[in-house]
Amino acid sequence: MLNGWIKKSVLSLCIFLGLFAWFGMQPVVADGFYEDDLVIAFLPRSLGNPIFLDAFEAAQKKAHELGVRLEWVAPFDFDSDLQVEMIENLIRRGVDGIVASVNDEEQVHNVFQKAMENGIPVATFDADSPGSGRLFYIGINNYEAGMEIGDALVDVIKSKGLEEETLETMIMTGYREALNLEERIRGFLDATNGEVNLHIADILENEDTVEKSIILLEDYLKINPEVDVIYFVGGWPFYVTSDALPNFRQWAKEGGIAVGIDLFYDALLLQKEGLIQYLIGQDMTSMGSQGLELLVRYIRYGEVPPEIVVTGLEHANETNIDRLLEIHKPWLVK
Amino acid sequence: MRRFEMFWSKLAKKTEIHTIRTKLILSFLAMALIPLGIMAVFSYQTFYGNLTRSVAEYSHEVVGRMAKDLDEYFSDLEVLLTRDQDFYMDQLIKLVDGNDFNNRKYVFRIWEDLNNLYRVKPGLEEISLVFSGGNRLSNYGLYTLDFASFQRQFQSNPHERGVAILGPQQNFLNQTVVTMVKPYTSPTAKNAVFMTADISLERLANITDVRLGTRGYVFVADEHGRIIYHPSLDKLGTTSGFYRPTELHGFADGFGDYDNERFFLTTAYSPVTGWTIVSVAYADEIGAQVAPIQRITLVVTALILVGVVLLSVYLSHALSRPIKELQDLTKRAANNELSVHIDPQGNDEIAMLGHSFNKMIRRIQELMDENVREQKLLRKLEMESLDNQIKPHFIYNTLDLIIGQLESNQNEQASLLIEALGSFFRLSLSKGREVVPIGSEVEHVRNYLFIQQLRHGDEYEYEMTIEPGIRDKFIPRLLLQPLVENAIYHGILQANRQGKIHIAGFQKPNGDITFEIQDDGAGIEPDKLRDINEVLRGERSLRNEKEYFGLRNVNKRAQLMFGDEYGVVLESEQGQGTKAILNIKATREDPDV
Repeated sequence: MLNGWIKKSVLSLCIFLGLFAWFGMQPVVADGFYEDDLVIAFLPRSLGNPIFLDAFEAAQKKAHELGVRLEWVAPFDFDSDLQVEMIENLIRRGVDGIVASVNDEEQVHNVFQKAMENGIPVATFDADSPGSGRLFYIGINNYEAGMEIGDALVDVIKSKGLEEETLETMIMTGYREALNLEERIRGFLDATNGEVNLHIADILENEDTVEKSIILLEDYLKINPEVDVIYFVGGWPFYVTSDALPNFRQWAKEGGIAVGIDLFYDALLLQKEGLIQYLIGQDMTSMGSQGLELLVRYIRYGEVPPEIVVTGLEHANETNIDRLLEIHKPWLVK
Repeated sequence: MRRFEMFWSKLAKKTEIHTIRTKLILSFLAMALIPLGIMAVFSYQTFYGNLTRSVAEYSHEVVGRMAKDLDEYFSDLEVLLTRDQDFYMDQLIKLVDGNDFNNRKYVFRIWEDLNNLYRVKPGLEEISLVFSGGNRLSNYGLYTLDFASFQRQFQSNPHERGVAILGPQQNFLNQTVVTMVKPYTSPTAKNAVFMTADISLERLANITDVRLGTRGYVFVADEHGRIIYHPSLDKLGTTSGFYRPTELHGFADGFGDYDNERFFLTTAYSPVTGWTIVSVAYADEIGAQVAPIQRITLVVTALILVGVVLLSVYLSHALSRPIKELQDLTKRAANNELSVHIDPQGNDEIAMLGHSFNKMIRRIQELMDENVREQKLLRKLEMESLDNQIKPHFIYNTLDLIIGQLESNQNEQASLLIEALGSFFRLSLSKGREVVPIGSEVEHVRNYLFIQQLRHGDEYEYEMTIEPGIRDKFIPRLLLQPLVENAIYHGILQANRQGKIHIAGFQKPNGDITFEIQDDGAGIEPDKLRDINEVLRGERSLRNEKEYFGLRNVNKRAQLMFGDEYGVVLESEQGQGTKAILNIKATREDPDV
C-alpha cells in the first residue's frame, strides 16, 4: 500500500514538474504583459499595398505567440525617404529589432548601420538590401521568380502558337529603384529571351500604389490597345473586381496575354475570369511569421539564422485555379 | 541772490538785452516758439497716444482672429475625432479585445481612412486609435505606446466635452505636436479606446504668424501659463514670464515689464482649446514708430526755430534800425549838432517820427537862430540903451555941474552928485548882467532923477511909489530910465512949467508887474500918441531908426524878454501929461544865476 502511495506521489510529482517545466517554458501571454518586453518593428514598403497584409496578420499572431510586441509601420504610400526617417525614429524609440521590406536598397545602408551600431539587429523581407550588413533576408528569390514567370509566359505564348510573332509587351512595376522588382524584371527578360519575341514597348511605374496602378493600366490600354503582353511585376491592380478594369477586361477578351507575380484571392478571381493567364505568388505569411521568429530567436537566444531564407513560390494556372480559390480567403480590402 | 543779480546784470549788458532790438528778437522768439513748442509736444503726445491705441486695436483684432482660427481648427478636429459607431473600428476593437488577428480587412480600411484624413486636414501630423493594451493604430501603421502615461496625461488635462489637448510633446516621427484626445465610444469595446490627432506646431505657427514690429511675437499658453507654442522652441513647456495667476486666463492686456524690458501685451482666449493667445510687442519698437515723426518734428521745429530767429533778427533790425538812427541823431542833436537830418523810409510810425524829428530839429535850429538873433538884438538894444544913457553930453553936463559945485564950495552937494553919478554908472553897467533886481533899477532911476533934478533945478518934482513886494523881482536893466527921461524931456520940460513925475511900480493880480511913469507935462497930441502906440505894437513900420528910439528900445527889450503881450503903452492927454505904462512878467529868479 505504501509503495502504491509512493508511486502515485512520485508520478504526480513528475507530472507536476513536467507541467511546471512546460508552462515555465511558455511565454506568458496576457494582454499587457510580455515575457521580456521585446518590441520588434516590421516595415513593409507601404501600408497602402495590400500584398503585405498576409505578412501582417501572420506577424501579429506570431508576436502574440512569442510574447513580443509587434510594430508594423510604414508610409502609406511608397516613400523611400520617409521609410528611412521611420527607421531613424525606431532607433530613437529603442525597438529591439527591425525587419524591413526595403524601398531603396542603397538608401537604407546608413540607417541600417546606425541601427546595428545601436545594438538593434536588422533583417529584410520581401525586398532585400544585400550590401547593408543586415542579419538575414527572408523572401523569394526575385530573379528566379522573374524567370519562372517568364517561363510560364513562354509556355502560354507557345500554347497560343504565337512564338514566331513579335509581341508588343508592357511591363508594369512599382519603382525602378526597387531591387526586388528589378530582379523580377531581369529574371523575366532572361527567361523569355530567345524563347519568344517580346518587344518591350513600355515599363510603367505605379509608385507601388494600387489606385495608380489601376489608372495607369486603364489609360494605357485605352491608348495602346494593340499591346500583346502585359507582365505585372507585382499584383497592384488585382485587388479590384474586373468591373473596375473595363479596358483591361476588354483587352483580355480580345486576346491580350497577362501574367504576374503576386497571388491572392482577388487576383485568382481575375485569373478565373480569363483576364490573367498565369500567376506566381509569394508566401508573405511565412515572411511575416518566420521572419519575426528568426529575429526573436536571434535576440533572445543568439541563434544566428541563415543569411538568405527563401520562402517558396506558388503557381496558379488553369489547372489549379479552382483549388487555390478554395484555399485563399477573400481579402475584401477594396 | 546778489551774485545772480550781478551775473544777470553783466549778461544783460553784454547781450544788450535792454535794447529794443533784443527785446523785439526775444518777443518774436517767444511768440513763435511757445506755441510751436506747445503744438509739438501736444502733437507728439496725441500721435503717441493714437499710435498706442491703434496698435492695441490692431493687436486685439489680430489675436482675436487667431483665437477664432484656433477654435475653428480644433472644432473641426473634434468633429474629425467624433466617430459614431464606425463599423470598421467597432469590429477591429472587438477583434483586438479577443486577440483575434484576422483583422486585415478592418485594419486596412482604417489605415486608408486615417490616411485620407491625414492628407485632407492641414497641420495634422498623425491620427490614430489608441487601445488600452498599449497599441496605437495610426496612419503610420501600428506601434506601441505607454498607455498608463497616456491615460494619466489625459486625465490630468482639463477636458471639456470629453476632449483633452496634450502636449507639446514628440510624436512617432519625433515631431513636436499637440495631441487632441477624445474617447471613442464603442458598443463592442471592453476597455477604453481613444481617438487622437497630432497637430504640428507649425500649424500653430501658421495661425499665429503675425509679427508686431521686428522683435514682436505671438505665443500660446494654457491656463496655467505653460507655453504650448512659442517661436523660440526652447520655451515650449515652460511657464511664461508674463503669466499672472490672478488675472483671468492668466494674462493681462496692456503695458508690462519683464526681464528689464517693457512690453505691450494683447491677449485673446480660445474657449475650444482653453488656451490664451498672447501677442507681445516691444514698447520701444512702438515708440520707434514715433521716432520718424519725432525726428521730423524736431527737424521742422529746428528749421522753424532757425527761420524764426533769422526773421526775428531781420525784423527787429529792420524795425529798430531807424529807431537806432533816430537815437544816434538825437544824441548828436543833443550834443548841439543840429545839422543832423534823418532820411525816413516809408510811411509808418517810425518814418513819421523821423519826419517829426527833422521838423523838430529845424524848429530848434530856427528857435536857436531866433534866440541868437533876439539875444543879439537884445544885446544891441542894451548897448544902445547903455550908449543912450552914457551919452557924452550927459556926462559932460553932469561933470560941469560937479565942477561948478566944487568951485562954489558946494562940496557936499558935489559929493552927493558924484556918488549919484557913480551909482548911476554902476547900475547902468550892472556888471554886464541882463536882469537886475527891481530895487536896483529903481535906485538907478532915483540916481538919474537926482542928477537931472540938480541939473534942471526946481523945474520938477518926483515921487516914487514902489510896492515893497516887487523889489526883489527882476527886471531887464535900464528899462525904466528911458521912460523917465522921456517924461522929463518930452513931458515936463516941454510944458515950460513946473511939473511932477510920479513913478509907480506894483504887482497886478495876475502876477505881472506894471510900472507907470506919469508926468503932468505937455502931453502928446492924439495922432502922435496913436502913431507911437502903433509903432510900439508893431502895427506900423518905422520911417527911420531914430523914430521913438527910447520907447521902442524899452518896449522891444520887454517883449523880447517876456513876450509880445508885454512892453510899453502910452497914455496921454495933450497939455495934461503923459503916462508911460510898462508891463513885465514877474521874474523871481535871476536868470543869470
